[in-house]
This record gives sequence, C-alpha cells and structure tokens, in this order.
Amino acid sequence: MLSPSKMWNGFKSYIYKNYGENPGSMLVHTGVIGWILSAAAQIYAVAFNDKISKEQKVFLIPQEIGDAVVNIASFYTLTSGIKYIGSKLAKTAKLRTSAITDILKKDGHILEKGQKRVDGKVYAGDWNFNITNLDNYGTDIASKFKPFKNGVEVIAGLTGSILSSNLVTPLVRNQYAAKKQKEVLANIDKNKTTDESSKLKYPSDISMNAYMKLASVKFSSGSLKI
Amino acid sequence: MAAVNFNIVKNVYNRLPSIQVSKDKVIDNVAYIGKKWSSPHQRAILGLTAIVMQPYIDWKNKNVDEKTRKVSVARTCAKIIAGTLTGVALRAGFIKGIAAMSKTAAEIPANAKPFTKKIKQCLTPKNLDPANKDALEQYRNAMGTILSLAAMVFTNFLIDAPLTKFLTNKFIGLQKKGEDK
Repeated sequence: MLSPSKMWNGFKSYIYKNYGENPGSMLVHTGVIGWILSAAAQIYAVAFNDKISKEQKVFLIPQEIGDAVVNIASFYTLTSGIKYIGSKLAKTAKLRTSAITDILKKDGHILEKGQKRVDGKVYAGDWNFNITNLDNYGTDIASKFKPFKNGVEVIAGLTGSILSSNLVTPLVRNQYAAKKQKEVLANIDKNKTTDESSKLKYPSDISMNAYMKLASVKFSSGSLKI
Repeated sequence: MAAVNFNIVKNVYNRLPSIQVSKDKVIDNVAYIGKKWSSPHQRAILGLTAIVMQPYIDWKNKNVDEKTRKVSVARTCAKIIAGTLTGVALRAGFIKGIAAMSKTAAEIPANAKPFTKKIKQCLTPKNLDPANKDALEQYRNAMGTILSLAAMVFTNFLIDAPLTKFLTNKFIGLQKKGEDK
C-alpha cells in the first residue's frame, strides 16, 4: 500500500512532469478545478442554509447544478478549444518567429511562393507538420520554439477564459436564469388558480420579491472561479 | 463522412497563409507572458475584463424587469470585486509561499541548518531537473495555484461571501441614492 509520504511525492512529481513545461494547460485545468469547487461551494451554501426552506431547496439545488454544468462545460470547451488552436498554430509552424523560419527554410521545410508542392511532402504550416518531431528539434529549435509556444498557449488560454467567463457564460446563464424565473412566476400564477390537491412542482410560497432577494444574497464563490 | 469533413478542414488549414512574427519586442513579450504570467495574472485580467463586460450584459438582459436587473448589476459588480481581490491575493501568496519551500540544493546556503534545509525543500519535486529553471518556476505556479484553490474553499465562506454581501448592499444603497436625487 502507498504511504501518504509516497503519495505526496508522487503528486509533486506528477505536477512537475505535467505542468513544468505546459503553463497553458495548467491554467485551463486549474480553471476547471476552480469552477468545479466553486459550484460545489455554491450548492453546499444552498443545501445547508437554514434560511432557505426545504421546498425552495428542491427548486434551487437543481438550478445550481444546471448552472454549474453550463458554466463548467462552456469554460472547458472554449478555453481548451482556443488553447488547442494556439498550440496547433505553433506546433505546425503556421505561426512562427523569424528565427524559426530561418531554420526551417535552411532545411527545406518551407514552401516558397511560386514553388510547386511535392506530392506527399509535409511542409511547415501544414496540418500534419510537427516541429517537435524534426531531427534537429532538440539541438537547434527547442530553445527558440518553447518560450514562444508557451507564450502563445498562455495568451490563447487567457483569451478563451475571457470569452467564456465574461461573455458566453453570463449570456447563457442569463437566458437560463430568465427561463427559470418565468417558470417560477408561471407556477405562482398557476398555484393561485389550481385546487389544493394538485401537486406543485415549485414551492408555492416563493414570491417574486423573495426570489429576487434570494438571488441577491445568494452565496458567491467568486475567487475560486477563473 | 466525418473523415471527408476532416480532410476539408486539413486542406483549408494547409492553404491558409503562415504568419511570421518578426518584431523582437513582440517575440520577447510573448515569451515573457509564457514564462512569467500565471494564475494571479489570469485572475486579475479576468477581473478587469469582467467589470467592463458583465455588468453591461446584466443591464442589457431584457428578459427580466428593471428592478431585478439593478440588483443583478449590483451583485455582479460586488462578486467581481470581492472574487478578484481575494482570488489574486491568495494565488499570488500561495505561489510565493511554495517558491520559498521548493528550493533547489544550489539555492540554499551551505551553512543552513538541517531543519531549515528540510523546510526549504519540503515541496521540491523528487524528479527535479536542476538545470531547467523554467520548469521549476512553472511547477511552483501550478502547485501554488492548486493549493490556493483548496484554501479558497474556506476563504470563500470567510471572506468572499460576507464581502460580496457587504458590497452588494453598498451598491444597492448607491443606486437608491441616485434614484432619490
């Protein structure tokens, strides 16, 4: 059996090996962990809040879970997607520095203007080109490529997280919250007209004011989120 | 069908012109961001962009009435300010703390006491390549960020929640003052 000390050392080695040269991936992965923890904290805050009635919890907890799924999915899809594009552009040398162009040109990897494509040959900038697989990668290219690639990945990851956290997620969340709010109001109206024996999907004692108050004081786990 | 679509994507990609970055200043800045920027910078940038974008999105949300929108804007601003302040401070603090406890043998003075040595190396990874300083720096950033996230589970209740509530009420008060004028 693994001792706690061995597990801890294994954890440190894992972090070093996986994120030591991949700052962009680290930002995406810790971002997702942050969103998951923030969602868990939010659900916990509703579930263990004495001021919220049992009936209201039945409505609010699934809403929080739905909210969390939307947030996490949109964050991961957009951020990792844009980071992947950045990484692909750098690895295929579609986006490169002049120093890298000089090396690739010297080795005949660049398709010059007017030059005819040789069938079956993969050129720099092609989908299947991978600069890290070149024979002279370790000796000539890595020192110029790695800092540039890391920078591109961090910038791409940042762009993705700005778009997902500040644009897509609020828009989707607002649509979702508005839909839920309308459902609550529709149920309140329905409750007024239906007979007592009908089963209510939403709590009958939640008024518009109470709903707004709940929304305004509801716990926020902002610092966990990226 | 999927394979055909993927071939189209590949062909389009291959035909796109390559982009060459020639300005040294731009190349240096990109490399600097990759090397030095980490989660505190990410959190700060997201906070700044959020305060510009999110309240506007909330205010333009015509699906809800004006009263709800006002509360929503106040709460969003409060949430962003509280979340950014604690998020940046904790991430930066933890990364600094981890850096102090993940030294390489060369970074510790030769005359340091065994206990000091142990403390200063308690978070140093066993598979460390002492020659690769960048990897160690990124490890410190990653470890600091992960441990700060664990700490934030608690500080969210202790700092974020009351600060958000306090700021929301302040902003709602300011809105009311503005309306009364």
